Amino acid sequence: MTRRQRRWPIHLALIAVCFVMLVPFYWVLKTSISGENIFSYPPSIVPRDPQPFYYVDVWYAIPFARYFLNSVVVSILTIVANVVLNAMAGYSLTQTFPGKQIVLMLFLSCMMIPFQATIIPAYLITGKLGLLDSYLGLALPMFSTIICIFVFKASFDAVPRSLIDAARVDGLSEWRIIWKVMMPLAKSAVATNVILSFIWSWNNFMWPLIATRSQDMQTLPLGLARFISYQEDTTGALYAFCIMVLAPGILLFLLAQKEFVQGLTTGATKG
Amino acid sequence: MDRRTVLKTGLAAAGTLAMPAYLRAQSNKKISVLTWNIADQEALFKEEFDEFKKANPSVEIEWLDKKGPDLPAFYQTQLVAGTAPDVIDIQGALWVEWAANGALLDLTPYFQNDPAFVKMFNPDYMSSFVYDKKNYLVPFYVAKTLLYYNKTMFKEAGLSGPPKTFDELLASAQAMGKGEKTGFLTLNFDWLYWPLMKMNGIELLTPDYKKPAFNTPAAAELLDRLAKSTAAGAINKIAWTGRWVEPNGAFASGTVGMLQAHSASYFFVKGQGRWINPETLGATQAPGDWSTPTNHGFGVSKSSGNPELAFALVKHMTSVKWATRLAQIRRVLTANIEADKAGLESVKADDPLAYAVLQTQLEHTDKMTGNWPLANDAQIKEAFWPEFQNAVLGRKDAKTALADAERAVTRVLRRS
Amino acid sequence: MSVTAIDTADVRPRFTRRRSTRRAILIWSFLAPSLLIFLLYRILPLGWNLLLSFEAWSPLKPAVFIGFDNYQEMFWDDDVFWQALWNTLGIIASAPLGIAIALGLALLVNSDIRGRDVYRTLIFLSYPLMTVAVAIIWRWMFDERVGLINFVARSLHLADQPIPFLNSFTWALPCVIAANIWQMLGFYMIIILTGLQTIPGNLYEAAEIDGANSFRRFLRITLPLLRPSLFLCFVIGMLNSVTSFDLIYVMTNGGPGHATEILVTYIYKLAFNQTRFDYAAAITVVFFMLLLAVTWAANRLSGGNVGAVEHD
Repeated sequence: MTRRQRRWPIHLALIAVCFVMLVPFYWVLKTSISGENIFSYPPSIVPRDPQPFYYVDVWYAIPFARYFLNSVVVSILTIVANVVLNAMAGYSLTQTFPGKQIVLMLFLSCMMIPFQATIIPAYLITGKLGLLDSYLGLALPMFSTIICIFVFKASFDAVPRSLIDAARVDGLSEWRIIWKVMMPLAKSAVATNVILSFIWSWNNFMWPLIATRSQDMQTLPLGLARFISYQEDTTGALYAFCIMVLAPGILLFLLAQKEFVQGLTTGATKG
Repeated sequence: MDRRTVLKTGLAAAGTLAMPAYLRAQSNKKISVLTWNIADQEALFKEEFDEFKKANPSVEIEWLDKKGPDLPAFYQTQLVAGTAPDVIDIQGALWVEWAANGALLDLTPYFQNDPAFVKMFNPDYMSSFVYDKKNYLVPFYVAKTLLYYNKTMFKEAGLSGPPKTFDELLASAQAMGKGEKTGFLTLNFDWLYWPLMKMNGIELLTPDYKKPAFNTPAAAELLDRLAKSTAAGAINKIAWTGRWVEPNGAFASGTVGMLQAHSASYFFVKGQGRWINPETLGATQAPGDWSTPTNHGFGVSKSSGNPELAFALVKHMTSVKWATRLAQIRRVLTANIEADKAGLESVKADDPLAYAVLQTQLEHTDKMTGNWPLANDAQIKEAFWPEFQNAVLGRKDAKTALADAERAVTRVLRRS
Repeated sequence: MSVTAIDTADVRPRFTRRRSTRRAILIWSFLAPSLLIFLLYRILPLGWNLLLSFEAWSPLKPAVFIGFDNYQEMFWDDDVFWQALWNTLGIIASAPLGIAIALGLALLVNSDIRGRDVYRTLIFLSYPLMTVAVAIIWRWMFDERVGLINFVARSLHLADQPIPFLNSFTWALPCVIAANIWQMLGFYMIIILTGLQTIPGNLYEAAEIDGANSFRRFLRITLPLLRPSLFLCFVIGMLNSVTSFDLIYVMTNGGPGHATEILVTYIYKLAFNQTRFDYAAAITVVFFMLLLAVTWAANRLSGGNVGAVEHD
């Protein structure tokens, strides 16, 4: 590379963008530990008299641990189902079979159906399956996601044909080919599936709202929404709650980000 | 198309089959109660339920609570699935629609059987729950609008006291609206701004509720005046754009002269405004003593398997004992006359200002407006409000806006 | 959408007919669970909406067939529908803006600089966030009295009065769009970045030898080869944005007036606040068609292949 001396403008631009991306986090974090009246003007740039009481408030205001546990269980179910089902579907799509085009079209158009419009039938169907107010019922609608199927498909497409043929000659079943040959080569697709399905399940708001009935089944976004209406923005506790809810997602992402980025790479472009 | 085969078998059948375990267990008398964003009273409800269960040993109570904007979605989904909670707490005019649709049980026979129970409640609040000459709800806790005013700003502007007429209200607002300061704010959700119309003798519909009645020269003039006062800064724009947090927050910041809002606003405003004390904040009736209620009432679902028991629970939860507890803890009025007396007494001692605010809720209960028993209230509101908003924000000429609103409202009325 | 029909290389003569039937069964059984989920939670509900859109129905009331009345009302009588439609299109149109910014960022973080992984991570960080929380964060940023944005604007004397961003007919929609772009930016960037990394370096070398400057190289090589990534960005971004119910529900709830009403929020309000499930169903059907049409058009524009999504 020849433009070694012209790097500082790039750094400058990127630092500026990162600043814009991070400022909202900082502002909410600052509010959540601020000891002063959060409605006084002008707002202080650094937290004044920092204190952790808002976090304590949140902990006692709602059964945070229970909601957290529910969110975790639903997310784990969703993640496992997504990895397994999407891998199977993704593998099928790398094969040739009659009706493939229809399946593809169907998948693509399924992406266009807004969930908010499907609440009532989705509720009735889940009820018919006897899964209302259960972890499985909460997770089921998200058990397979179209984007993630394509991520797997693209990743499997990149696996050399010869490898698969060799496995077939060795007498491996298709099932085993997926799990023994393909999956180890598609680690980043798995990571992408894990992160994306986690994000979607962790953030889901509308469905748990409708499909849960008992207090014990509520998930964190519901807690957050309940918190807005009950506290009505009067204290910094709302912002403390935001931070507590966001932290797990950010942590998981930071842990898995390398594979995730690679997974999107293979998923998004020609393998 | 044969609707019966399509929807009834297709979905309603799915609904009945969908009956989850908690419903099938209804035979051993399970009563479910759905409340409206009052989860903070969990401890109180637990006590109430425990006492009820002691008196009715075989009964189980399931308590659900949803926040306001989510409750209709939740309830209606349950309704379609045939699993509606037995007892439901409803705010505003939503209940009329559900009553008209056949979701709620007519409580009139229960009331007739128990005149002593009915007598416990303020008759004006009680009558706000009547649709088609039938009683559908029992008051749980009630509120109506009043006028809060910033005494400091009144003094600064040389005003002697709160306005007694609409003209005075606008004039006072004008006197206080300078620079960052504005004179008047109102909450606008539901029909909470309607007292302003009523003060000027404007009616929404004809007495038979068949046709719009608001498109009059007087109304056009009023909207025009409101628009001009808004443009001049006498009325704060947030009055027409904000929801709950914004108008209350603006008044709490101490730069707005008057706020028309219900009693619940007091606690919000007090939480944010450090300036508030009996010397600086006044609470009084709006001109003409007009107000719009936002009440909560308990209804019983028609689909309830144990309507008797459900009504017994409603009676239990609204009894003097428990209504008093609610009034004291939550600092609300319950329309239960004895309970409110006791509740106010305990508030008087430790928060005189709250006492003054709550006192307004018991006065002039005969002058409530903006609570029509209309089965399509929500649709009429949606048809009327955007045009009203256009007019007062100066986005549309008042006459045009009223004509457009009339067209939209007529369409809704014709549809039903 | 062009999907190559039959991959002849795959049909091997040594597989007997029976074997290939068995394989077909296997393939379908692999697809079955996913298809079943989509059938239950996407296709059947869509069918329900389609059916309902021709009827007058509300919970507990029998349905009555009313033909195209709902559609007629929507197109000829309902100003709010049109406003929600325009707002939805506005949000769709804002996706390319976000993508353009992300493209610039992707080019920057693709350069050989120190700490680029840190930049990538920081920029991406907003995507995994819970949308309800994002809405709360931005509501707080845009707060009229103590929001950071008003504070900065007033400190720099850009505004002498605090601007009620989310209560302003002019500002509310741009504010919601800004929050949406903020959340999606990192996602777009990663997708484009991965697209960039698959472009063979020798293409650039050849162009450099031909004397093309960096701008021409971008136009001639980078942009065309990025098409599939850009298309994927657009489709996912568009779907994410126009269905970002949580964001609008919490930030503005469609207000002021209907200034930030989009079709999903309107559908939700009609169904659950006004008990007009039938009419909401008709709008759902139109909304679905709209998304299909926009995706089809974008696919055409990006070169007629489903690109990133399908490419055999």
